[in-house]
Order: sequence, then structure tokens, then C-alpha cells
Amino acid sequence: MRVRRVAWLATVLAGCVDQATAPGVCPTFCPSGQIDVVDTVLAASIARDSTFRGYVLPHQAGAMTASDVPGVVDSRAILRTSALVSGLALNTGDTTTSPLVGADSMKLTLTITRHDTTAHNLTVRLYRLPITIDSTTTFADLRGAFADPTDSLRAVNVDALLAKPGGVDSATGDQAAIDTTSKFLKVTVKLDSLQAPYVSGDSGKLGIGVRIGADAPTSVGFCTRENACGASLAWFVKVDSIKGTDTTLIHKQLAAVTLFDSYVFDPPIPPVDSTLAVGGAPSARSIMRITLPRAIRDSSQIIRGTLLLVPAVPARGAPVDSFVVEAHTVASDFGAKSPLVLDATRTDTTMIRVGKTDTVRVEVTNLLQFWVADSTRPEVLMLRSQEEAARPTEIRFYPSAAAPYRPALRITYARRFPFGVP
Amino acid sequence: MTARRVDPKGLPCGRGWTGRVLLGAAVLLSAGTPVRLSAQDSQFGVRGLGTPGRFETARARSTGGAFGPFDALSPLTEASLGDLQQLAATAMGGTSYRQADVAGGTASLRATRSESRRVTYLDRTWDVTRRDSLLLRGTMRPYVDELSSDGGVTDLRFAAALRVSARFALGAAVHVLSGSTRETAGRTFDDTTYHAIRQNDETRYDGLGISGSLLVDPLPALRLSLFARSDNRLRARLGDVVTAETNLPNTFGAGLRWAPSPSVRLAGTVARRTWADAGAGAFNTVSWSAGLEVDAGFAPFRVGARGGQLPFGAGPTAPTEVGFAAGTGRAFARGRALVDVGLEHLRRTGAGLSERVWTFLLGFSVRP
Repeated sequence: MRVRRVAWLATVLAGCVDQATAPGVCPTFCPSGQIDVVDTVLAASIARDSTFRGYVLPHQAGAMTASDVPGVVDSRAILRTSALVSGLALNTGDTTTSPLVGADSMKLTLTITRHDTTAHNLTVRLYRLPITIDSTTTFADLRGAFADPTDSLRAVNVDALLAKPGGVDSATGDQAAIDTTSKFLKVTVKLDSLQAPYVSGDSGKLGIGVRIGADAPTSVGFCTRENACGASLAWFVKVDSIKGTDTTLIHKQLAAVTLFDSYVFDPPIPPVDSTLAVGGAPSARSIMRITLPRAIRDSSQIIRGTLLLVPAVPARGAPVDSFVVEAHTVASDFGAKSPLVLDATRTDTTMIRVGKTDTVRVEVTNLLQFWVADSTRPEVLMLRSQEEAARPTEIRFYPSAAAPYRPALRITYARRFPFGVP
Repeated sequence: MTARRVDPKGLPCGRGWTGRVLLGAAVLLSAGTPVRLSAQDSQFGVRGLGTPGRFETARARSTGGAFGPFDALSPLTEASLGDLQQLAATAMGGTSYRQADVAGGTASLRATRSESRRVTYLDRTWDVTRRDSLLLRGTMRPYVDELSSDGGVTDLRFAAALRVSARFALGAAVHVLSGSTRETAGRTFDDTTYHAIRQNDETRYDGLGISGSLLVDPLPALRLSLFARSDNRLRARLGDVVTAETNLPNTFGAGLRWAPSPSVRLAGTVARRTWADAGAGAFNTVSWSAGLEVDAGFAPFRVGARGGQLPFGAGPTAPTEVGFAAGTGRAFARGRALVDVGLEHLRRTGAGLSERVWTFLLGFSVRP
């Protein structure tokens, strides 16, 4: 009886579920109206475009680039370590500290966020730099410090190190490993007391330069303190115990970090001109004002929008220096200081390939739909590098003033469906 | 002793003036949301105005529609309202299983509809999908379109009937056509770089019509029904903008019922509708039906057949429709509640499309 009731109920419920979808044979058995899709290039819809530089400086970037691309770009990472304490309390309860009198060795760990896997025998070479380096230091300022490779403190072949068991060189104390979580490559280089001396007058601060090389032109990205993964140091110091007649030197380990990290490169970025620059260091952004035709904005549904940009100058650097350009809209149009709408659903991106002069296409469908959905939003588009100032590479596009190559918007949209017509 | 004629549905036919006049019996209140429409979906209605509804109760439909002009609760004619002696209410529901054969493919469709306060004039519920491709940016882009409409036009009738004599009744009505459809148009590209298209809107409809009908009993066992109706035009609106005005048909019809014995009734109906006025792709239609109802003691047995044409279709001629139906009913609560069930099969054939429809019908009538 119960089974019959359930069967009856199931039959009734199944009957109440509509299945109304049928294959259409158009136009015979379709509605008279059809979806009308239009694809058009709005050549003159972008105007009042300009470029501004200086949003993010190299020492504020989330990464620093060391490159060795002869004839194109030469870039080196530079960093300054934190000071060490002048004395240590050797025992619990000590009211006095014992002074640091020297260092046995120091281990410097660098985090490589990206590197060119096609360039083999990647070598990291460390140089001693003055501790006066800061954000105003230029490539030319440090040309002398980097002049002779034989002057380097240490040189480590990362590929060879990785090939060793456990990535450890037991003879030198160097180590290389790939972080299983971040997939970053961590390289630890051991420096002895001569290579990394403890100078009490400098409080143990060191200036270090990093230069890279490989069998082929290459480029490497190092993580920075701004990204919470800057270089770290482990000092192995000597402390004078000074306890009565005991003048034994105590060996202690001290941690240090970098207080400043940046990179310098050559040639320097050319000054902003009439082109639309994106990227570089300090980072440049380009702003564009877009005017969508009312017919499209008010009564159409945009299904694809592509921003067409013609490079005036190809991006220069190593192939691995290709970078992502983001197209954002702004909350309000204040020119260079327009606040970006930082919303992943309203951000469109494209990859800029180094050395290519092909037309760059940025899919800006999300932005266009955002503007159509909210007509109070300014139709302003800001282009910037995804990792601003993290590498010297930049791209320059023709502006709207260069009529034959001006930026254009290619829009595919659906006209309003003719509802209400039987 | 006064003989008392009994209506085939068991309703007494009054002879005095107090029992002869019934005004406004069929006015159905319009408050509340529109009800879903009776199961009349058809692919033939996609291209035109829609699929015309049937002005029949489950009982009349179980006889192929032949008893429609004589059924007081069927909204086809008004004169039969004169036979109603008391307040009555009816509701009807149906589930259709439809198989559409089009362009070498077959689609199985199902729809459940109910009807109580309003009557379907045009059903505009459909959903079609289509796969095609489009040249965009130098490449053919395959896509799937889905166009759908849900709703229709209902007929709100203000009717009056007068039984002039035992052998003659007449009726008239004003019809207010109203309704709406929620229409959607969507396109999904295989290449997701192109975002999906989704547009929708609600179309409202309005129109007016008038109708009149006669019931004549030339012989005690014979009843003739003549009916006519004229609807002016159907106006479609999007918001406040009139998007289309379509002429609606005039209807002329007649029915004959013969009761050779108190328990056996035969009826036949024919009607013509000038749907060609609706414009290109529309055809005038003639429909017919014949049916039999036998009171077999415990429950009546009903059977009937129908045929005719559909008003909208492709090709130079109107699509055709033939079908048969059967059903029965049962009275409860001393005849105050009636339950009618029926089964109807239809086959529609037109250029490029054929449909087979099985519909299960369920009707309730209450006379408190």
C-alpha cells in the first residue's frame, strides 16, 4: 500500500515538472525576432589619454630584478642588512651584556620568485657594496663596485647546487631548495668572516649587490621585504664573555634582515614622452577616457570588448621579463591621482611579450559591462603593470594623437531583442 | 403534474422567469496573479500569436469538444448559462506529454497547466533552442540560442444569459483579453571569451471582444446552438510602448445535440475562425468535433473526436489537427461536487513539423 502511494506521488510530481525546451528550426518554427550581434571597431572613442610615472619606486616593489641581457638591459639587485646588537646577555639573569667582537661566518638566503628555466648554469654572484646605498642610488653609482667579477664575494652556480643531493654543497655550506608551498627557489650562500666581516663601526650592517649570469641572456626576480620574503641573514658571531678572568670567546647565532632592497639597471628608463607608457621602474601608468556611443551603452548588451593598442616601442628585456598589464577603471577621474577600482571582477589583463611589436589586445569586457551597468561610473581606463616597478621592462603605445595607430576599442554587442513582436 | 426537463449535466432547467434569468454568472474575478494556462502548448504557435485555447471544461473536452456549446460551465457560449440554477464553480487541470518531430529530430515535452478563474485565449508558452554559428572577428563562432516565452493571453468574460422559453435561450458576453508573457532571449557561445547574452522583458497584452449565442430546442430531444464572436485586436506592450497590434478573428459556429434516450446523448459542433486576419503566416480555420455521452449507471462514459486546422504554421496551407478523447466523471456530495477525468490524444501535422500529444484532464465542479 505504501509503495503504491509513493509511486502515485512520484507520478504526480513528475507530471508537474515542465519540460518545455524543444529544438528550434528557424525561422520556420522560431519567434520572428532574432538575436542580432554586431561587431564594430570604435576608432575614435578613446581620447584624452596620457601617461604618468612614479606610482611605485623600485625599492617599494614586491620584487627586484637582476638581468644580464647584453646590449639590452643590465640590472642588479642591491640590499642593505640590518644592524646587529652591540652586545649579548650570555646567561639568563645577566644584567650586563657581552660585546660582539667578530663574526665567524654569515649565511645569506635569497628568494628567487622567477627565473628563466631555458638559461642554464644560472650563477648568483655577490658583491660588497657601501652601506650608504639607498633609493637614490643609480646603476652608475655602483658601476665601480660591480666592475670586476673577480671582486665578487661569492659566486654560486644555482643549477649545479640544485643538482647536488638535497641541494646542499657540504664543502661551501651553500644550499638551494624549492619551497613546496610558494614554489619559490631559495638559495642560501655562506660567507666567511673575510667575505662578510663584522665591522663594529657599521654595527654589522652590510651592503650587498647581486648580479646574475647564465649560459644565455637571462633575468631573475628576487623577492623583497615589501613582499615579506626579502633576503634574510644568519650571523654566526663571536662574543667576548668578559666574566672575571674568563675571556673565552662565545659563539652565538644572530638573525638579521634587510632594511633596504632595490635594484639598479642600465640603460635607464627614457623620460615620459607623448606615447602611452606602462610598466617600468618607477612604474608608469596610462590613463584613457572612453566614450561609448549611447546606443551601445543604453540599450545593448556588450559581450566582448577588446582594447587595441599598437606598440610604439617594443618592450625590452629578457623573454622572462614579459609582464602582465592590468586594465582598471577608476572610482573618480582625478587624472594621475585617480583612485583605481581594485576589484578582480572588474579588472582585465593581458601579457606583454618582450620584443614583440604586434598589436596588444586587452580584453576589457568586464570593464565595459561595468560601465553599462552603472552609468554614474566614469568611463576611464587606467593601464598599469601587474607587478609595478618589479622589473625595468615597460611598453609604450601610440597615443590617440597618432591617428593611424591610435588606441581603439573593438566591441561585440547584442542589440536589444525585439520582444513584444509576435 | 409538471414535467421537469433535466439538463444532460443533471441541472434542472427552470421554467419560471425567476429561474430563467441568470446574469453575470460567468464573471470571473480578476484579482490575484494570472493562472497558468491550459495545456495547449504547440510548436506551431511559436511563430504566430500563440496556440489558441479551448473553451471547454474537462467534461466537454472528453467528448472531443462536441458538447462545448451545450455545457453551461464551458466558456464557449453564453446561452447555456441560462440553464444554471445556482452558483457554480469549476476548475480544470491537465498534463500534456508532447512529442514534436521537427527537422529529423524528436523532442519530448511535458507541461502541466491549470485553469480556474480565467480562460486561455492564446497560449504563448514555449522554449526553443537552436545551435548555429556566426562569423565574428574572422572566425566562425558556434553558439546555442535559447528563446523562451512563458505566459499567454487570458479571456475574462462578462456574460449574461436569458432563458426566454423552454425551447429558446440566448446569451451575450463582453470579453476582456489580457495577459502577459515573460520572454527571454539568450545566447551562449562555445568560446567563453564572448560573454553569454541574456535579455528578458515582459510583454503585456490587451484586447476586447464580444460574443453572442442562441440555444434552440426544435424537438424535445434535439438542441441547436448557434454562436458567434468577434474580437477586435490584440495589442502588445512593452512598458508603455505599443509594440504590435494584431487583428483577432471572428468566430462563427454551430452545434447540435441529440438525446435519443435519457441516458444517451450525441453532439456535433463545427466552428470557423478567421485567423487569417492576424497577418502573414496565419490561416482561417475550420474545426469540427463529434461526441457521445452515455450515463452508464455508476459513472458516465464520454468519447469524442475532433479535427480541424491550426491557425499558425509554415507553408502555404494551415496545419491540421485530429484527435480523440475519452473520459468519465463522478458526482459526490449528492451531486454538489463533480469530478471529471479524461484522456485526449491529438496529432498535429504541418509543413516541417508534426506533433503527438497525450493530455490527461482533470476537472472539478462545485455547486454549493
